[in-house]
Amino acid sequence: MPTSPRKSSTKNNSNDTELVRAIQSGRIDLYQELVSRYERKLYNFGLRMCRNASDAEDLVQDTFLNVFKYLNGFRHEAKFKNWLYKIAASACIKKRRRLKHAPDQTLSLEDFLPGDEAEMARKAPRWATIPLEQLLNEELADMLSDTIHALPDKYRIVAVLRDVEGFSTAETAKILDITPANVKVRLHRARLFLRDKLKNYFEHDHSHPSA
Amino acid sequence: MTTATHQHDDRCLDLFKKLSEYIDQELDKATCQQIEQHIKNCPPCRACLETLKTTAGLCRRIEEAPVPVALSDRLKKMINEMTV
Repeated sequence: MPTSPRKSSTKNNSNDTELVRAIQSGRIDLYQELVSRYERKLYNFGLRMCRNASDAEDLVQDTFLNVFKYLNGFRHEAKFKNWLYKIAASACIKKRRRLKHAPDQTLSLEDFLPGDEAEMARKAPRWATIPLEQLLNEELADMLSDTIHALPDKYRIVAVLRDVEGFSTAETAKILDITPANVKVRLHRARLFLRDKLKNYFEHDHSHPSA
Repeated sequence: MTTATHQHDDRCLDLFKKLSEYIDQELDKATCQQIEQHIKNCPPCRACLETLKTTAGLCRRIEEAPVPVALSDRLKKMINEMTV
């Protein structure tokens, strides 16, 4: 059976709504509480999206600056968290566009079709059978983080929002102003790209992951 | 498609495109059943599905780094200036 997608927290959103409404009604002294609630999430989003920690810090600061500036215009039509990430994602995309000279590489589905000898085995490879909490160690986490950075931008932002941050397909589509179908296509190719790198890591560098 | 050489026909490619949607429970029942039937007889696609699930699962488990003290201080200073 397929695995369940991560569920968003209704309680957190309800808490956010109360806090944001209080700030909108004049309690700007509560803005620090809103920042404290999301600074770690946003900083980590920045680390996944930017090339270095300094750029991630700038992203967090710019995002909270813009949130403060435009908060009175937020009408609670979306969850506050989704609006916050829309502002952060937009800042990321603009920054990358300014720095880039070449268009994003396109990942082709055909390049990821399974079929090499290692995958002709009757069973799934060992690394796919070990419980995730046992499989994930510091070295693997570092390797995975580096591989996420190696994804072309348009795939990376979708993979980060969907698989790292836990937004749904519909939420990710709204945050990025793209269609849900586009989110699905990009996510699948991003996962296949990451899967390929993990496969190489386990087959060539760590052929006996500890159980 | 044959498992001996895993030659991909259009049907196989069509299901391969949907493996992430299958993992995320975004497909209708009929398509889920087609995939389940297909992977029973296709070890490479089954291995691909399992490793893809593991890949997505690992991404969801990456630990968050703490916020640097310097950044927290910077944010507090910025907020003080904005809210005074």
